[in-house]
Amino acid sequence: MEQPRRITDSFPRRRRRRGPGRPPGRLKDRKDKDKDKDKDKAQLKVRDCPRCPSQPPPDPALMEMLRRFDLSWEYGPCSGITRLQRWERAQELGLSPPGPIRDALLEHRDNPDVTY
Amino acid sequence: MFSEQAAPTAQGLLAPPSGQPPTFPRVAVAGYSDLSQPFRLGERSFGRQYAHVYAVRLAGMRPGLERRARGRWGDDIALRRLSELQEGEKCCVVGTLFKAMQLQPSILQEISEEHNLVPQPPLPKYIQPSDELMLEDELQRIKLEGAIDVQRLVTGTIVAVYGCEQEDGRFLVEDHCLADLPPPLPWSGPSSDRFVLLASGLGLGSVSGEALLSTQLLVDVVTGQLGAEGEQSCAAHITRVILAGNLLSQNTQSRDTINKAKYLTKKTQAASVEAVKMLDEILLQLCTSVPVDVMPGEFDPTNYTLPQQPLHRCMLPLASAYATLRLVTNPYQASLDGVRFLGTSGQNISDIFKYSSMDDYLEILEWTLLAGHISPTAPDTLGCYPFYKSDPFILTECPHVYFCGNAPRFQSKLLQGKEGQRVLLVMVPDFSATQTACLINLRDLSCQPIAFSSFGADTDD
Repeated sequence: MEQPRRITDSFPRRRRRRGPGRPPGRLKDRKDKDKDKDKDKAQLKVRDCPRCPSQPPPDPALMEMLRRFDLSWEYGPCSGITRLQRWERAQELGLSPPGPIRDALLEHRDNPDVTY
Repeated sequence: MFSEQAAPTAQGLLAPPSGQPPTFPRVAVAGYSDLSQPFRLGERSFGRQYAHVYAVRLAGMRPGLERRARGRWGDDIALRRLSELQEGEKCCVVGTLFKAMQLQPSILQEISEEHNLVPQPPLPKYIQPSDELMLEDELQRIKLEGAIDVQRLVTGTIVAVYGCEQEDGRFLVEDHCLADLPPPLPWSGPSSDRFVLLASGLGLGSVSGEALLSTQLLVDVVTGQLGAEGEQSCAAHITRVILAGNLLSQNTQSRDTINKAKYLTKKTQAASVEAVKMLDEILLQLCTSVPVDVMPGEFDPTNYTLPQQPLHRCMLPLASAYATLRLVTNPYQASLDGVRFLGTSGQNISDIFKYSSMDDYLEILEWTLLAGHISPTAPDTLGCYPFYKSDPFILTECPHVYFCGNAPRFQSKLLQGKEGQRVLLVMVPDFSATQTACLINLRDLSCQPIAFSSFGADTDD
């Protein structure tokens, strides 16, 4: 398989609205849905179509870079705040986060996959 | 202040009233700026976890601690992270302390109430000889032993420890250091005598009304309606009154309405309503004469987590008509006449008291200053807002006056630092219990207590 198996492949997700600060697992699943539309998945409770109407799905290399930014421990915990907030916090604390991440975040500001 | 200048004019009280009673204009407010902006929260979101607070605390205090460590143990010491530790190598690690305490109350005790197990009663101190200290950095944690006082330190302090890792996985500490006093602020205090009155724990709404007379005496002294001309002229030198928390008494916090049946509690009013009305009337008398800063405390109607937001002005309709009333946050930081004040209503100090072997409140206050953090135990045992960007409780500059409200008794000390810092540490006593307030002279940073006593119903004579 080209994609790692996820637990949500076998267990359907429940209908429940979640607040801000979605855990990373959900994000990866939604990225999956962008790429593999023919995969038989359970119903998504939050459809991304009404929110970002006519945008091309973001570059997988970009998503990979953002995910690596999330998981790098030097910039602190990643849950509960947007990626831009985390980048700016790292900047203020003098941890010198990479510049291209910020450019990418600002470029794709309205895409919820990117801004977290 | 009052006694030496008041005595010569005491005879004036026995003379017939003069046609033109003398008036003493209050000294003008020279410079006031409210610096408690970091403690004001706008939109609050509790959807975050507390890991961010600890992460920014460590990241924010790490450079200062590394500098201190280099200064103390030599420039060439090895500064390592816990993941880079090698056995037997002497190095220095900077991290957050965590004290594993057996008696620490946990959320599980609330669950035990549901299961009808006896919950642990609140104890004055939760320390035990079996407590253990652990050092955590961004990724790992390690148990500490050696030359480190486990009983004295509390969770959440950022320390630098010097020692080596042993084969059983523990870190043997040879020496440790805290962040020490923050860098000093330039002194631009007034050249003449100006006083600030600090009082806390007015305790309105309590069952016994004995402290009410003392409170009224306090208000009368400050507004100059008490004493002979000497005392009135002294009172005119008071430029500000700061009420440091617990304006309402603990009795107003009764939660009977939750436990009792509805038909018994239907028409009862919360005890805090009457108490706030009394507070409004007292503040009205004070505000007509002197600027007042009101800080909320543990039993006041505001949020529970630190930093406590100011009381809402709709609760004090009479007094908030005056611009001299300032409702401020807890902790509170301001610059009065060039003198930097920083203080809390006492929750941070009493929380450290519960989890540390230090018994003297003034010692704890001094220790928080040396640790570089107002309240290290938040958010572990003291409620705290989940900050993510920066920890506003880190002390970046050394205040000139550092006070704490609701202490059991009055204490004060002038601390001199190595880099020229001069800090006046003041423990403001609980007014409802001790009837004592503090007067701080801004010119020379001296502090004296001022006590009001009255004869109660049960005392003879």
